[in-house]
This record gives sequence, structure tokens and C-alpha cells, in this order.
Amino acid sequence: MKRYLLSTAVALGLAAPALAVETTDVLDTYADIAAANYGDSLITAQRLQTSITALVTNPSAETLTAARAAWLAARVPYQQTEVFRFGNAIVDDWEGKVNAWPLDEGLIDYVDASYGGPSDENEFAALNVIANPTFTLSGTEIDATTITPALLEETLQEADGVEANVATGYHAIEFLLWGQDLNGHGTGAGDRPWTDYATEEACTNGNCDRRGQYLTAATELLISDLKYMAEAWADDGAARTALMEDSDAGISAILTGMGSLSYGETAGERMRLGVMLNDPEEEHSCFADNTHNDHYYNGVGIQNVYLGAYVRTDGTLVSGASLSDLVAEQDTALDTEMQSKLSAAVMALSRIKHAAEAGFAYDQMLERGNAAGEALIMDGVNGLIDQTRSIERVITVLGVDGSAIEGSDSLDDPDAVFQ
Amino acid sequence: MKRYLFAAALICAPVAAAADPSVSDIIDGHILPRFDALASTSQDLAQTAQQDCDPTSTDLRAAYGAAFDAWISASHLRFGPTEVDDRAFALAFWPDSRGATPRSLATLIADQDPIAANVETYSDVSIAARGFYALEFLLYDATLMQEGTSDYHCTLVRTVAGDIAATATAIYDDWTGGHADVLLSPGPTATYRSEEEVLQEMLRALTAGLQFTSDSRLGRPLGTFDRPRPKRAEAWRSGRSASDVKLSLESLQDLASRLAVTDPQVAEQLTREFNDALDKLEAVNDPVFASVAKPQSRLKIEVVQQAVDTIRTTVQTELGPTLGVAAGFNSLDGD
Repeated sequence: MKRYLLSTAVALGLAAPALAVETTDVLDTYADIAAANYGDSLITAQRLQTSITALVTNPSAETLTAARAAWLAARVPYQQTEVFRFGNAIVDDWEGKVNAWPLDEGLIDYVDASYGGPSDENEFAALNVIANPTFTLSGTEIDATTITPALLEETLQEADGVEANVATGYHAIEFLLWGQDLNGHGTGAGDRPWTDYATEEACTNGNCDRRGQYLTAATELLISDLKYMAEAWADDGAARTALMEDSDAGISAILTGMGSLSYGETAGERMRLGVMLNDPEEEHSCFADNTHNDHYYNGVGIQNVYLGAYVRTDGTLVSGASLSDLVAEQDTALDTEMQSKLSAAVMALSRIKHAAEAGFAYDQMLERGNAAGEALIMDGVNGLIDQTRSIERVITVLGVDGSAIEGSDSLDDPDAVFQ
Repeated sequence: MKRYLFAAALICAPVAAAADPSVSDIIDGHILPRFDALASTSQDLAQTAQQDCDPTSTDLRAAYGAAFDAWISASHLRFGPTEVDDRAFALAFWPDSRGATPRSLATLIADQDPIAANVETYSDVSIAARGFYALEFLLYDATLMQEGTSDYHCTLVRTVAGDIAATATAIYDDWTGGHADVLLSPGPTATYRSEEEVLQEMLRALTAGLQFTSDSRLGRPLGTFDRPRPKRAEAWRSGRSASDVKLSLESLQDLASRLAVTDPQVAEQLTREFNDALDKLEAVNDPVFASVAKPQSRLKIEVVQQAVDTIRTTVQTELGPTLGVAAGFNSLDGD
């Protein structure tokens, strides 16, 4: 609609007012934040790799604890990048390799008897590749005597076309570091013993060498995947180039990412559904009990791209011309509204984080009849839904081309985003 | 060209822009009758379950079918009263890709959980064990229809039916008790800032409804050519899969025609496309989409999905601009 209006305005000889904030500068800031944010994800994943190498070569309680700490630190920058997913086809097509969730972890390793076996939805829910060097997958005999990145990426990931067969990425690694959380709604996260990586007689639960192989291969893949994405946002990278091709579509991509992550993904799929199902497995980091941080840093990531500012993991600030500046120029009140909604949502998400860090874990909040937990989570959900409505108002005020707005197109029809 | 002219008209004479579709017509002609029907058929279901809770009872299954039909016809209207206290989720939790419904029901039955004793406490139970899809397992699933003592099973059927009725009634009461006015009175400090935002809500409902029918009702059983998934069809146990697609398309067609009222050309195109999709569905002649597994018959289901996607495109590229609004974000955005 906007384009027609502009062309009509030109045809009628009406001059458009000169804009102080250049759209291309806003897009530059966004791409700079993406580059820094994926760069930080890579750096922290490399630290994770160092600690995982230490765990596999020198298994001990200390090296396992250090690897877990490195995983938790690596999630801080990564969760902020999720705002780049919806809207940027290159990210959306890729992200399943690094952050797919939820997973049927029995595909990877041993699980408790309560987990059950193969289900209607997933025949391979309990495949346990660590214990099985050879197996048949959809009629094909698979040689998994050595667990390699290629095996995980090409054969096991989404095996049999089932999305819950997650063989790679942060959550597969999380499972290998923590193990299943068997406490239900009670206190405590997964409690995998370090001896699951021990050698010879000390090895618990069998196949410790293969478990170490799996963990090493999955970490290697994570590094190469993150490297790819950090490069895609560098100068002349594919994601940056695609974003810059059409400035209206670029702005639309930013807003599509903000709205889709706020509403359908975080508020809906990850938060509200868990409350309604009262299922402790319905938490994003269910092995490590880190879900409060997952949601919180999603919220922060959305705020980052609107304000055009991101604090790197080394403390430096990346900032520049922002979407906020662009909106303020057209409608100051709407910019104020958008900023206050974003702040309110981050505040609500941080309350969940505060309670969780003080000992009230996210899976406890999900328990049937736990009114305080439900209220905490639903405040976060409502904050995210509320900000989505303001994002839609921003889309209207900026007059971004309507065909690019329907967020699900970023999944179903990635090209539509760049029309 | 047409759109160019429309835009020019807006600039030259903004006040004289084409008349908007009537929000009150959509409320009175589309929304209220659907929630009225849902409430009354659900109350009938609850009463029938009180009289006869045997899963194989013809009366009970007929009452269940009628109430479920009413839900499908209203299922795209996901705003306002349906979103209070998770009501819509409590009526209809599906797709259930992790099998939460049978698992939750089996746990309740195994534990003889006393929470099933009355409707009031049952609202605390996981949404997976509530609503039409849970009741389908209790009435039609070969295992769950006979699980547990017949007393407990009967209590569970009655409570789930009663819970459905309470939820459906609460939605209708909110609609008649004030929510219709919320849609009719947009303003600077109201839920909807302008009539455009109200129309955007309607367009969102239409868009999301079409997306759900294409992606879930048709897309889930289709799976991929190499790996079709007939057991992922909606409500196949009670033989409703194709009929749900039909009901949803008919209801969405009604909403679309009310939204397109100011543009005869778009209205005519939508009518043609909806009729085409319904004709193609009729030709499938397979109530549970079991034929997704056979290449020849599979194609017939694929063309239904394509026909629905054609409507989606028209809604997005023609109807949206006609109304001057975009569909915005819906809950299906995301994974």
C-alpha cells in the first residue's frame, strides 16, 4: 500500500519530506548487531568446545561442571540472536541445526524406563545410537561404528522426517551434559554422573567412549554452524546482502522477526503451552533447568534490535541508528509505547528469572495448581503478546509492504519475505 | 491498476473511501450464531453424558459430534472471550505431536485421580486431558475407551463433557455480555485503537483459520510423499478428518464474504476459490485421509491443500489491501 501511495504522491507532484534517519543506517545497525551477536555465540561455543575436550580427555566431576558452566554461558548470546530467525530466510532455514527443540532424547542415549519406547509419532524415539553401532533406519542399514559430525547431520538429524529426532545443536549437547531431569516438578535438574564419560571399569551406563565421541562431534558441528552464520552477517555476507537488497523488505524482516518470536514462538509455543499442559518436559532447556534464561534473553534480543543496541559478551556496546529513531520521527507517541511495552515484557521475563535463580525452577512453576508459577509465566506471556500489538502498529505507521508481514511466510515461503 | 486507483482515491478524497465492511454484520451474522451453537450443543452433550456415559452409546456419540461440529465452525475466532483462561485451548488441544492427550488421560485413569470428580476442579487439569480431542480418546480410542473401572471412566466422560459445556457457555456469555461492544467501540484508549484494528483482527482470524486447515488438517496427514502420515489426521478415530476440513472452509467462506462485501470483484474471486476447494474436497471421498499413502489418491488431497493455499494468497494480496490492513501476527507464526 505504501509504495502505491508514494508513487501516487510523486505523480501528483507532492514532495516527500526529507528523513533525518536513513533506513539503510537502521539496517546497517541491525546487521552489525547480528554479526556481533553470532560472533559472540561462536566465541562462547569455542570455550564450550575447550571444556568439552577437557571433559572427554580427563573425565571428572570438575571437568563436567566446567563444561556445564560453559554451556550456560554460551546460551546468553545465542538466545538473543533468535530475533533474527523469522524474517531472515537464511537464518530460518539454518536454525534447526543448532537450536531444534523439543527433542526425543532417547534417539541419542539411554533414558529412564518412564520415557517409554517408540511412539505413533516417532518410531525412533528410543533408538539410542550411543548404544547401537549399527541399526536400520527407514529400511536402510546404518553404520554408526564411528560417531561423526556427518552421521549426526546427514543421517540422524530429523531421522524419518520426524522433527523431534534432534541429533545436533545446543539441546543435544545439553542432554549429554546433564541427562534427563527425572525430578518431575520437584527440585533439581538433570544429574548425569561424570562417570558416563569415564574409561574402562569406571564407565557408567555403558559406551562411555561412544558418548564422548557423540559429544565431541555435536560440538564440532555447533562450531561450524555458528561460524557459517557469523560470516553470513559480516560485510558482504549472504544474510547482510539479502537484508540490504530492498530497504522496505529489510525493515519488514526486522519487524517480522520481532513479532513472530514474541507471539507465536516464545509466548505461545514455549511458554503458554507449558503452563496449560502442566508438563515439566515442556520447558525449553528441560535438562539443565535453564529455561528462565532462554525466555529472558529472547525478550532482551527483541529489545536490542528495536533500540539498535547490543552489549557484547566482552562488555563492548554495538549501537547505531535504530528502528526506534525511525518510528519516533513519524510518531513519537508510538515509539514511547513500543519502548515501554518492550521494557515491561523484559521486566516480566526477568521476574521469572529472579524466582528461578533463587530456587523456584521453571518446571516447578508449571505444576498443576501452582498459582504463583502460573501467574509469573502468564505475565511474561501477556507482556510478549501485548508488545506484538504495538509491533503491528509500528508496521502500519512505517507502511511496510503488507505482503511481507504475515510472519509464518518466513517459514513456509522464505522468498515471500524478500518480495 | 485497480489498487493504484484505490490509493489515489484515498489521497484525493480520503473521507469518501469505499464503505467498510460492517463489523456489526460480522458479529451478528457470523460470530454470535457460532458461539451460540457451540454453547447449546455443548450443554446438550453434557446432559446426554449424564444420561448415558457408555462410550459406544449412539446418543452420546451423536451429541459429541454435533458439539464438535459447532467448535470446528467457530475455531478460527480466536480472540477476546476464547482467549480468557485458556478457554479455546481447553476445548481443543490439537495437534498433539508428543502424545500428551493419551498420556494425560491414561495417568488420570491409572491414578483414579479424584480431580475428575467434578467440573470445577477439573479446570486445573492439563489442557491435554480436556476438550473435544480428549473426549474423542475416551469415546473412540480402542484402548482408552475401556481403560479403568467403568465407574471412573463414566465419571471422566461426564466431567470432560461438563467442562466443555462450562467453557463454551462462558465464551458465549462473554460475547453477549460485552465483548461485542469492545469490537464496536474502538478508540484511542480502547483494546482496538481504530476500526482498522478491528478489521485486522477479523482478517487475522480468516488468515489463521485457512493456515490451520492447510498446514495441520491437510498438511499433517500428507506428511511427505515418501513418508505420508495418515495417523496424524485430525480426529481420525471418530472419522471426522475430511468433514472438519469441510466445516472449517464453509465457515471461513462465510467470514470472507462478509469481509469482501465492498469489493465485488474480490468477493466473486473468493467465492469461486472456496467453491473450488470444497469441490476438490468432495472428490477425495475419504473421511479420514487414509489414502494419503497411495500416490494416486494422495494427489487428490494435495490439490485440496493447493486450493486452500490459493485462497490464502487471495486473502493476503487482494482482500487485505482492499480492507487497507495486513493480517498481522498470529499464533501460528513461529515453529
